[in-house]
Parts: sequence; C-alpha cells; structure tokens
Amino acid sequence: MILNIKKILCIFTLILLIGCNAPPIPPEVKLAEKQDQNLWRSGALEYIPQEYNSYKGALQKAREDLVHENFKLVWFRDYTIIQSEFREALQTGNLLFSKIEQKKQELSESIAGKISFFQNRINTLKGLTSMINEGRLAREDLIKAEVILLETQKRYENNDLKSAGEKINALSLYINAAENTLLNILNRYTDKNQITKWQQWVEDTITESGKKKILSIVINKSERTLTVYRRGIVYKTYKIGLGRNGSGDKLHRGDNATPEGRYRIINKLKHSRYHKALLINYPNEDDQKQFLLAKEKGLVPKDVSIGGLIEIHGGGRDSMTYGCIAMDNLMIDELFSIAKVGTPVTIVGAVDFQNSISSAIKGL
Amino acid sequence: MKLNILKVLLLGMLVIVLSAGCGKQPTEDITAAKSAVDAVISEGAEKYAPEDAKKINDGLTAAMEEIKTQDGKLMKDYSKAKEMLATVKADAETLKSGMAAKKEEAKNNAIATQEAAKTSVNEAKTILAKAPKGKGSKADIEALKADLKGLEDSLADVQSAMDTEDYAAATEKANSIKEKAAEVSSQVTQAMEKVGTKTK
Repeated sequence: MILNIKKILCIFTLILLIGCNAPPIPPEVKLAEKQDQNLWRSGALEYIPQEYNSYKGALQKAREDLVHENFKLVWFRDYTIIQSEFREALQTGNLLFSKIEQKKQELSESIAGKISFFQNRINTLKGLTSMINEGRLAREDLIKAEVILLETQKRYENNDLKSAGEKINALSLYINAAENTLLNILNRYTDKNQITKWQQWVEDTITESGKKKILSIVINKSERTLTVYRRGIVYKTYKIGLGRNGSGDKLHRGDNATPEGRYRIINKLKHSRYHKALLINYPNEDDQKQFLLAKEKGLVPKDVSIGGLIEIHGGGRDSMTYGCIAMDNLMIDELFSIAKVGTPVTIVGAVDFQNSISSAIKGL
Repeated sequence: MKLNILKVLLLGMLVIVLSAGCGKQPTEDITAAKSAVDAVISEGAEKYAPEDAKKINDGLTAAMEEIKTQDGKLMKDYSKAKEMLATVKADAETLKSGMAAKKEEAKNNAIATQEAAKTSVNEAKTILAKAPKGKGSKADIEALKADLKGLEDSLADVQSAMDTEDYAAATEKANSIKEKAAEVSSQVTQAMEKVGTKTK
C-alpha cells in the first residue's frame, strides 16, 4: 500500500516536473513584435493603413491563439500552428515593408513634382504682377504661398513626406486667390472680341492719320509702347509706363487704371509737375456711359467720381502713375514738339491676339 | 489506508484550488497604469515623443495580454503582469515629467523663432522705408511692400499656432517667414543699389 502511495506521489511529481518544462515560445513571436514596431515606425499606418490593419488583425489573431494555447496545461501545449501563424505574419510584414517603400517613392516623386509645379506657377504669377504692376493683393497672396512652399520643402527635405503632402495642399488657396485677382485684369487680353475691338480702333486711327494727313498716337498697354503715326505711317515708337493698375481700363477716380478708348490732346502743358504733359480728353462719351452703367450696377463706390486729368507726361517711365502714360523726359520733349492740340490718341490693351500678356497667362 | 490516500489527494486538490483562487486580477495596478498612460497621452506624448508613447502603449497591451493568459490558468500568477504594469506606470510617469520639459522647450523655441521672424520683418520694413523712391524703383518698392504685408499677415498664423500650443507648426512657419523676410531685405538692398547705379 505504501508502495502505491509512493508510486502515485512519484507520478504526481513527475507530471509536475514535466509541466514545468513547457515547450518554448516560437522565436517568430518576438520577431513579429519587433517587425510590427518597425512597420509602425516606417509609417505603415499612414502609407498603407488598410493593409497594415489587416496585418495587425492577423497578428492579433496569432497573439490571441498564443494566449489561448498558453491557457492549456503545459503538457498539452503545441505551438506548431501558432508558429506558422506568426511566420505568415512575418512574411506579410516583409511585403508591407516593400509596399511602404514603393509608396514613399511614389509620394516623394509626386511631392517633388508638385513643389516644382507650384514654384513655377508662383514665379509666373509674380512675373505677371511685375508686368501689370498688380503689386498689392496678388503679391500678398503669393508671398503667403511662398511661405507655405518653403515649409513644404523643408518637410520634404526631412523626409516627412506625408505632412509635406498635406502642407502643399494649403498652397492652392493662396495661389488661386492671386490668380483670380490677376485674371480679372488680364483675361481681357485673351478675349478675341475685345482684341478685335481694339484692333478696329487702331485701324481707324491709322486710317484717319493717313486720310487727314495728320499725326496720330497709338498707345499699346500690353507692349508698353507709344507709336506715333504720320500720314498713316509709323513715325516713331517710344517705351512708356502706365498706372499702378495700368492694365485695367479706367472706370473711376482713384482706380489707378489707364483708360482705353479714342481720345484727343486737349492741352499742352509746358511746365508740368512731370516735366511736360499732354492732357487728353478723358473721360470721353463712352467712358461716361460706362461709368454710369457701372454706377448703376454698384461697381463704383457711391461718392467716387469718374476722375480725369489723364496725361501723357515725363518724369520717367517707371509705371507708377495714377493712370497717366509716363515717358522719359527726353522722349516727352520730342513728342511734345510734334504733337498738337487735337492730335488723336488711341489707347488700347493689345493689338495682337498673341500679345505679351496672353503669352504670360498661358504659363499658368 | 485507502481513506488516508484519498485524504491526501483531496488535500492536494484543495491546495491547488485554493492557490488558484488566491490569484486575483491586479485591478488597482491596471487602473493606475492606465491612468498614467492616459495622462501622458493627454499631455501630448504622441506629438512630442511618439516613439516613447508607442512603447508605453505597447507595454500596457502586453501587460493586459499577460493578465489574460493568467486568467485562463488554473494556477494564476499575476506577479509578472504586476511587474509589467508597474514598468508601464513608471515609464509613463517618467515620460510625463519629461514631457513638461519637452513642451516648455518647444514653446520657448517657438517664442524665440516668432520673435526672430518679427524682427526680420521689421528690419525689412525699416530698410524698405529708407529705400530712395527713385526712377525705376517705385514698382519694385510697391511690390516688396506688398510682400512684407503678406509676411506680416502670416505672422498672425504663427500666433494662432502658439495659441493652440502647436509649437512645432508655429516654429516651422516663423522660420519660413524669417527666411522670406530676409530675402525681401536682400531684394530691397538690391533695388537700392539699382537706383544708386542709375542715378550716378
């Protein structure tokens, strides 16, 4: 009987001893944990969220199976299936690493392309602001866009691609605002009907010069030129400057725009503030009609008048007048000597469909 | 004798059952560890120390899994889980105490960069104000004035980021503004040189 008790105790002890020697946890478990950490570090959640979540799901299932297996008494544990589950997760993880790298590469190229695209767009728009002197609203928006572009570039250089991609999206807001400001002014330079109208004015002016054998002046705003016709033939062309908002058609006082239309010299001012000046008859009848119409539509502030005193004057063609046409003093001296009161002055935006502004807009 | 053997076996079983029943889930440790983790996350650990935050989160997950393992065992032993939870709690608390310093450092850095950006913009404005509005430079000056106005507006974005304690964003923007303002200063100088050359 004593022997039996001893036998039972021996078996019990043996079982306990065997139980203490549980089968080892497969090495794949630790490797998978490390891999998961590295995948997260590589940005799996950002670049391949769905696939990473699916991988995490499989890994979680393997973990739970491991926990479940550990529930069992040690001598019943078998990690074969668990090992293969973790092995599979490791294989999937390796594939995910390649996908992340590929995505990063694609994103990197895409962001580099966008940076270059937006930089060119900003440069083009800045060029346009210089061309038409729209140095206020558009420039403010453009510099804000440049600040954001700089932030994007730094993120990109630091390989922080996702956030660089997010940042670059904020650029469009400012670039589009600047573009809209500019296009409101510049679209007329691509409008065929508008250009045809300008061409007609120029043709009529030249014809009048030829028929009446008189001197006529044609001012081309897009090319910043003043051409003198004598008896219908080009006599001389001068470089000029315009108002701060010279590319726009003058509508009212203080808009700093240079008027467009057919005018005449109504006074010659020998002693002008700007060396010498030729005063034209702005506003003409068309300008007055246009002004009243704009006023009716509420496009002109209530207390603002149509303005006047538009001259061709000296002082230098730095394009910062309030709507007048500016020339270098030597040039106005020449023009002043040949122009007369009554000389026709036609001011147009452009005479060619392919003008400098329409070409610049194409770059947008 | 048979009765004695039976008694021994029963006693053995009782000991096993009792010891199994004695192992209770370390609920207090769990709560303490979770609270510590929550506290450090709410302090912005994921923003200022993402690696450390993930390590702590993973530590908590691992501890909870260990508890789950022990829950299913006949002979429950939560000592390892308790150790793990204690480590998580200690790590979270260490990170939290360090977080305040990290945050303060980020804040101070953002304030310094914001000031530097303001100074840079003001310097550019001063140079621009001194620029002679001579022949050929008026348009450049007007354009640069508009640029500076845009940069001044952007300084408000830096303040907004500071107000929401997004110091990284504030620093990033302030640095860009500073750089752009320096570019404007350089352009003003160039414009001044241009005027100087022409008036000679």
